[in-house]
Amino acid sequence: MSISLTRKHFLGLAGATLGAAAMAACAGPSTDGAGTALKTLSPDEWSKVKPAASISFMSSHPGKSRDTEMKLIEAFQSANPGITVNLITGGSNYEEVAQKFQTAQAGSEVPDVVVASDVWWFRYAVSGAILPIDDLLKAVSVSTSDYSPGLIGDYKHANQQWAVPYARSTPLFYFNKDHFKAAGVPERAPATWEEFAEWAPGIKEANSSNSGYQNAYQYPAIAGYAGWTLQNVLWGQGGSWSKEWDITADSEASTAAMQWVQDSIVKHGWAGVSSKNAITDLQAGAVSATISSSADLAATLKAAKEANMRIGVGFLPGGSAASTQVCPTGGSGLVIASKTSPERQLAAAKFVTFMTNAQSTTALSAATGYLPVAEAADISSIVAHTPEFKTVVDQLKVTRTQDFARTFLPGGDQELAKAATKIMNEKADVKSTLTELRGTLEGIYNKDVKPKLKA
Amino acid sequence: MGRSNTHGAPATVSAAPGGMHERVHTESHGAQSSRVSVNRPPIAGIKRRRWNRKTQRDAWVFVAFAAPNVLLILLFTYRPLITNIYYSTLDWTLGSASATAVGVGNYVEFFTSPDASNVLAVTAVFTITTVGGAMILGLLVALALNQKLKGRTFARAVVFAPYVLSGVGVGLVWLFIFDPTYGVLSWILRGVGQASPQWVNDPKLALVMVTIVYVWKNLGYCAVVYLAGLQSIPTQLMEAAALDGASNVRRFLSIVVPLLSPTTFFLLITSLLSSLQAFDIIRIMTPSGNGTSTLIFDSYLQAFGSYNRAGYSAAISVVLFVGLLVMTAVQLRFVERKVHYS
Repeated sequence: MSISLTRKHFLGLAGATLGAAAMAACAGPSTDGAGTALKTLSPDEWSKVKPAASISFMSSHPGKSRDTEMKLIEAFQSANPGITVNLITGGSNYEEVAQKFQTAQAGSEVPDVVVASDVWWFRYAVSGAILPIDDLLKAVSVSTSDYSPGLIGDYKHANQQWAVPYARSTPLFYFNKDHFKAAGVPERAPATWEEFAEWAPGIKEANSSNSGYQNAYQYPAIAGYAGWTLQNVLWGQGGSWSKEWDITADSEASTAAMQWVQDSIVKHGWAGVSSKNAITDLQAGAVSATISSSADLAATLKAAKEANMRIGVGFLPGGSAASTQVCPTGGSGLVIASKTSPERQLAAAKFVTFMTNAQSTTALSAATGYLPVAEAADISSIVAHTPEFKTVVDQLKVTRTQDFARTFLPGGDQELAKAATKIMNEKADVKSTLTELRGTLEGIYNKDVKPKLKA
Repeated sequence: MGRSNTHGAPATVSAAPGGMHERVHTESHGAQSSRVSVNRPPIAGIKRRRWNRKTQRDAWVFVAFAAPNVLLILLFTYRPLITNIYYSTLDWTLGSASATAVGVGNYVEFFTSPDASNVLAVTAVFTITTVGGAMILGLLVALALNQKLKGRTFARAVVFAPYVLSGVGVGLVWLFIFDPTYGVLSWILRGVGQASPQWVNDPKLALVMVTIVYVWKNLGYCAVVYLAGLQSIPTQLMEAAALDGASNVRRFLSIVVPLLSPTTFFLLITSLLSSLQAFDIIRIMTPSGNGTSTLIFDSYLQAFGSYNRAGYSAAISVVLFVGLLVMTAVQLRFVERKVHYS
């Protein structure tokens, strides 16, 4: 057999290969405007589905909870012998998990259950990456009323439930009791920031001779969740990042609050901003007080005990306009991926409800400091062991839903952090920075959120 | 550079430009014209369109050897490149199954946004300081290591070691050194009564911090390559210059620097490309890109940070790609003219 290959054929073949590669390259998201409609089963249909034998759970092990998660998974597998759960470490924080989950959407295999923080679940819901779980919860005989109303209510959108609360937290005021004692101020968290501003110069002065001592108060690192904890100061002075979809970052009250923050660092000099982790700065004795997640409670108290340091915790301080309801909730819930089979989704539903039932949530709370999410959770043993945990639970009663600008705008948290950096680290003009921030946030809302909400 | 002649007539081949050309001109051909003429006999059968059995077999052998590599390059280099250019024309949220075509909208948005000038400025400052810093320090280190000193083999290994370390590990260790609260540097500064600068929080200092670490990690590479260049400089040239009474500085400027120019040129291209693609150290030391958002890091943040703007991110990548292409072309076209190949 003779194969004849002419130069023309050869070049043609090469061209065709290149062309095919180029065409293949153009496969990606659909641009026909139709998108993919989510298919969910009715409660009747769910009852006919048999749960899958194996599912995966992608987590960042919030609050250093890997061991606890492993134990809970073992307990789940004992209770549901037909289902095994594969725990995947998706990163060291919620953002890294989100990055992996979203990248996985382009492929054929997505994790079944994913830890989703307050700023991520909504975006997954809007993009169709996760399933509304109302019917799934019914299929596994769990009611939303089994959960703490304030926590499960956070995951409602378009009259549907999109997640169950899992590793939920609030910020707490952590302080070094010895530093407070040295300054002769009461060994408790201040009731308001105004009260702390009176104490702060004395606290700084009394402890400034300590080696490595820096400030009376340390604002959490901006790269962390600055937009989250700063809501406390804003709300205390009557401001906010937004009121629902109305951006109020540069309102008079918000500007005054952020000016107060800048003054505490620049003008009065009793506060600083952490470079990495404010709670570590507190543990190092470099600062006298800070705000950090309740998830840090167990680890911080343990470290303090080992270092022979007395650390106290309290409610977040109020402000001149509001002395209560100034604490945001935070943390993460569990979502179920939409791009899998009903069998896997049913198994996932069994798993998420197990991970958040009264017993499991108590175990997670005891190991970390996260809030118990189930109404029936018995926290008496935790409080007996760690009396400070009562503060966490009590503060839950006076929390406030977070500003939409932070939780529901893609990149909103990042923009808040950028503005906070300018105000707190670069001494930028507060009013103009916040006005610019409002413009950016409104731009994101109009471009990325508003069209999708109407659809 | 060469001109082909399909009729088999003598082909005219131009010599290499610059010094190379001059050398050929004066040494080999005396007062001839600057173009070097080579007489080639006519190649038999060059006009034939259909290949004979032998050339056909050669072609298949060529295809057999080249195809696997060509295929891999097409699949893993050109396909993503073309895909990326296509994505850059979409308004696409990462993870979403649908997108809207926006043409050049993402490019318009990037170049008209206030962030663009900042990102381009940071990219320029970071690239120039890291490339310049690593090359100048690398040359100085190479000059020192070229001396006949005791323990210089050990010193060479020490200088080169950071280059082979993982960028993530290097970033984490240096982050600890720079930490203003419990870092080693702040401890030393406190010892002399100084407060530590806010390396991470101050955007300008953050850029200084990652630049220092990047130069530290890469100067070993420049030093080793320069050292090889230094060792290839003929000693008789240096001795002759010394006999003529040339000072150390004069010998360095008139002999070492020109003879090192091919090395410098090579380092300039490779360092520039690697600096423009620097990612690991920036990602680890400044995860939010505060003051350190270079083109490539901004592209990452836009898609995989909290914005999820995959199309916009792809557009920034294309801007970076075109920048790299233009810069490399400019270097090959103009900078190489200044290079002396001995």
